[in-house]
Amino acid sequence: MFSAQMVSPRSLAKAPEGDRSARARLVLAVLALALLFVAALSIATGASDASALGVIQGWFHQSGEATLSDRDRLIVYDIRLPRIVLGILVGAGLAVSGALMQGLFRNPLADPGIVGVSAGAGLGAIAMIVLGGTALQPLAAILGIYALPLAAFAGGLAATLILYRVATRRGQTSIATMLLAGIALAALAGALSGILIYVADDRQLRDLTFWQLGSLGGATWAKIFAAGPIILATLAATPFFARGLDSLALGEPSARHLGVPVQRLKMFTILSVAAATGAAVAVSGGIGFIGIVVPHLLRLLIGPGNRYLLPASALLGASLLLLADAVSRTVVAPAELPIGIVTAVFGAPFFFWVLLRRRGILDL
Amino acid sequence: MIEAANVSVHIGRKRILSAVGFSAEPGQVTAIVGPNGSGKSTLIKALCGDLSYEGSITFNGRELAKLQPAEAAGMRAVLPQSITLSFPYTVREVVRLGLLRGCSGALDGQDEHLPERALAKVDLAGFAGRFYQELSGGEQQRVQLARVLCQVWTPVLEGRPRYLLLDEPVSSLDIKHQLLVMRIARDFAERGGGVVAVLHDLNLMAAFADRVLVMEKGRSVAQGKPAEVMRDELLSEVFECPLKVGAVPPGSTLFVLPQAAV
Repeated sequence: MFSAQMVSPRSLAKAPEGDRSARARLVLAVLALALLFVAALSIATGASDASALGVIQGWFHQSGEATLSDRDRLIVYDIRLPRIVLGILVGAGLAVSGALMQGLFRNPLADPGIVGVSAGAGLGAIAMIVLGGTALQPLAAILGIYALPLAAFAGGLAATLILYRVATRRGQTSIATMLLAGIALAALAGALSGILIYVADDRQLRDLTFWQLGSLGGATWAKIFAAGPIILATLAATPFFARGLDSLALGEPSARHLGVPVQRLKMFTILSVAAATGAAVAVSGGIGFIGIVVPHLLRLLIGPGNRYLLPASALLGASLLLLADAVSRTVVAPAELPIGIVTAVFGAPFFFWVLLRRRGILDL
Repeated sequence: MIEAANVSVHIGRKRILSAVGFSAEPGQVTAIVGPNGSGKSTLIKALCGDLSYEGSITFNGRELAKLQPAEAAGMRAVLPQSITLSFPYTVREVVRLGLLRGCSGALDGQDEHLPERALAKVDLAGFAGRFYQELSGGEQQRVQLARVLCQVWTPVLEGRPRYLLLDEPVSSLDIKHQLLVMRIARDFAERGGGVVAVLHDLNLMAAFADRVLVMEKGRSVAQGKPAEVMRDELLSEVFECPLKVGAVPPGSTLFVLPQAAV
């Protein structure tokens, strides 16, 4: 994927001034390596002392399987590996959703968690958990393992559409209206979720509590098969609207003048955000701030061009979530801190910093 | 050629344009002038396809409303009054957006060099690596012009003329760059393309336009060569202030001096 020629120092030197694509390709390659490293580290460490060396050897020697005991193999393949794969999917999905929303709203503060899209997705998921056995039973039966991610997708889609309708007038998005509408949406989704939780029975309450804490702890291959295709499909679609989103930065009329079918672009972006956020929220609960921290850091590094920002966000989002998960597993070991708390502890101050930096430009 | 017939635009219940007829020939710079609120910008927005309109607007014989965005992008490029960005794009990245649809018309493999050439044209050579957000208003306007020039780099593509639609292209420029931008527009027209420009400066219009449309209260009140519409009584009435048209030496480019009329 990254040929040596593309990232060689010579091509860096040759790049015209103001063209950051060579640097962006280099950063992409580094991020891909970093993700491999973080994933390998995660699989080798954990509460149990399942042999790290054995795992690595198992990868490289076909016969190396023998070096793992049955217990170690169970820990590695059925506990750690699903957790890592799920972490990669969720981290990539949340970070790319953030970058897409920021492009759509022409605003670096848009984030599914902050403006209520995650809350909408959460409401959809809670409705499916609580009503899946009664009112939504037929739906749940048809959709099978996809019921939860699709319900979250529907909730996230509704929230994104409402937000867009409220905050955007004639192609211009008001930052203040967007943030305030997000607060209102999150409050409404929270209230409706509260009603559902009130009517939930004991078993559902236990499911809800685990889900709401925001955790990769319950990772199973079943969850991966439910959320994975949705998130991967979104990631695969993003290259097709990267340049359209760049032109949208000039405003909707100018994007259209450049030949971009703006309505279709916006619709695809909204669907992608809702799909990726919905799937991520359905399997991991409330993990916040990945969508705002990751694209912001990357813009400082490689600029805002979506052609590289979107894949880079997926890679860095996955790495950061795995790191956060590692912190959540080790900081209070042998117990576990919900990962949502870890990302909030780092992400919320970061959000403040972004706000302060842009205070002059924001004009709220 | 761009032809507009009976074009009316309503925004809400208010009628902004009433049955305006208008044409712009390839090879010419066509200026739209008129006082504030006369409908100049509305007309050019209708020509750009930004507003829904009644009547008919055609580009090279094709109805604007039926053109796909990608087709329209190959026929005309649009320079808006001003554009602010909320992300730190470099000047080169902004200019390069003009090549999005790959319809520059430049020879194969030349597209990669167009941003630098376009920037040199608008007197911003060496600005490629700067951040757009850090430039002055006049520099930003010229960056956008460079982007627009990349989109329709060759004024004629496959035998069909292409158009530049410029909404107050010199509004935030100093006099040197006003002249530079008007010369770029003239050059585009002389190489076979068409230019439509909303202008406030009657003297620039007189010096650079081949034809001019004078607008007042959403209607077209006069069309013709600058010498035909630049009459004391017409301009004084439309702009609601005494104006005097002169020419020194007689027969050369006309100019308008408000102080000459007092």
